[in-house]
Amino acid sequence: MSTEVKEYALPPEVLEETVKASEELWKPIKKVKFRIYKYNPKRDYAPHWEEYELEVSKGMTILDALLEIKGEKDHTLGMRYSCRMGLCGSCAMMINGKQMLACQTRVIEAAGDGDVIELRPLENFPVTRDLATDFSAFFEKHKTVKPWIIRDEEELDNPTGPYKQTIEEYARYYQFTDCIKCGACLSACPTAATDYEYLGPQALAQAYRYLVDSRDDGLDERIAVVDVAHGCWRCHFAGSCSDVCPRGVDPAQGIQLLKGLIIRRKFGFRPHKPTEALPAKIAKKKEQ
Amino acid sequence: MEEAREEFVEYYAKNMGGVLGWFKARVYTIERWLYGAHRITGILIVLFMLPHFYSTGWHPGLWGDFILGIIVTFHIANGIRLILAELGFAVGKPLLVKKPSQRPVSLEGSQRYLVALALLLFIVLAVIWAYYALIVQAAT
Repeated sequence: MSTEVKEYALPPEVLEETVKASEELWKPIKKVKFRIYKYNPKRDYAPHWEEYELEVSKGMTILDALLEIKGEKDHTLGMRYSCRMGLCGSCAMMINGKQMLACQTRVIEAAGDGDVIELRPLENFPVTRDLATDFSAFFEKHKTVKPWIIRDEEELDNPTGPYKQTIEEYARYYQFTDCIKCGACLSACPTAATDYEYLGPQALAQAYRYLVDSRDDGLDERIAVVDVAHGCWRCHFAGSCSDVCPRGVDPAQGIQLLKGLIIRRKFGFRPHKPTEALPAKIAKKKEQ
Repeated sequence: MEEAREEFVEYYAKNMGGVLGWFKARVYTIERWLYGAHRITGILIVLFMLPHFYSTGWHPGLWGDFILGIIVTFHIANGIRLILAELGFAVGKPLLVKKPSQRPVSLEGSQRYLVALALLLFIVLAVIWAYYALIVQAAT
């Protein structure tokens, strides 16, 4: 038996079309002025703005433009990026006053009719340099809500059954698992603008995600963290966090549902329906 | 000089939105405007309460009463909307399937109607109050 290797080539007319479309996508069509926030806290007295002019094409993203500026015009530009496709959440910044991912925003769309694009570091985050911000406090807040499944250690050692979930149980928390921790929600939050200790939409939505997970046993532990002065009651549903979320996580919804859950629990109602699919949990309930 | 520099650097390095951050609503949805208005009306009500507690007979004059009524009725109407939302009504259910550029369900679902109802309630209450403050009370 022998396998023949066939040479595969696109039909000439399709190839021509593809090349043409690609050329059109990357052909410079407009001059756009980038106003970029420059600030180095270790050296500068105050931030200043720098302007760069670039020829942009239809397919160019803000991140492409920034890389071009860094490569050809100003190598001192500080920024952070990693995956270039909206998965890592490193390149969130204020683009014309709204929090967006630089890698997912096209220059032409961001500029609209005008030809100026203003880039700032995320608000409510300490500036490390230029467009890069310090996320350590943000990650600490995420850690305080215990973003992992809490189970009895005894049961982990001697499991009594698989962790099965129905589709309804899965649907309760799936939406919040898409969070990439880009920080856009905390930056857009008006409560976080004056309250540095506020847990923030990201941490609270993640707390809700684990609270309603049918595999989780940490209800009391986790509610003690979010039901505090700088916890979920500081949210007054401005909705900006959901508005800017690049992944459709909808943290505002999570926080409102979290508050409803805590209120129901305080009045002695069941916080959410008990799960039927977990043998270990049912056994535990029957004992009680 | 060095101290002043440190304060300056701290201010810019912290990069907090500050009180003005409450009112940066231009690029966001209507809920952000309501948030800013709810804050400012709440603060104004507290400011009114200080002389009010000192002497309950004090009131801020004819047009002052009218403005106070507008402030209070907005705070009531939006407050009812917030209580409902925080109990989990009209914020929708978490999604199992998302579109590539999914808009938030909590803002674009039934919350739209709740916002409209809250604003309608505000207008109705404000008109009733204005009638009472400017016509009924002024006549007596």
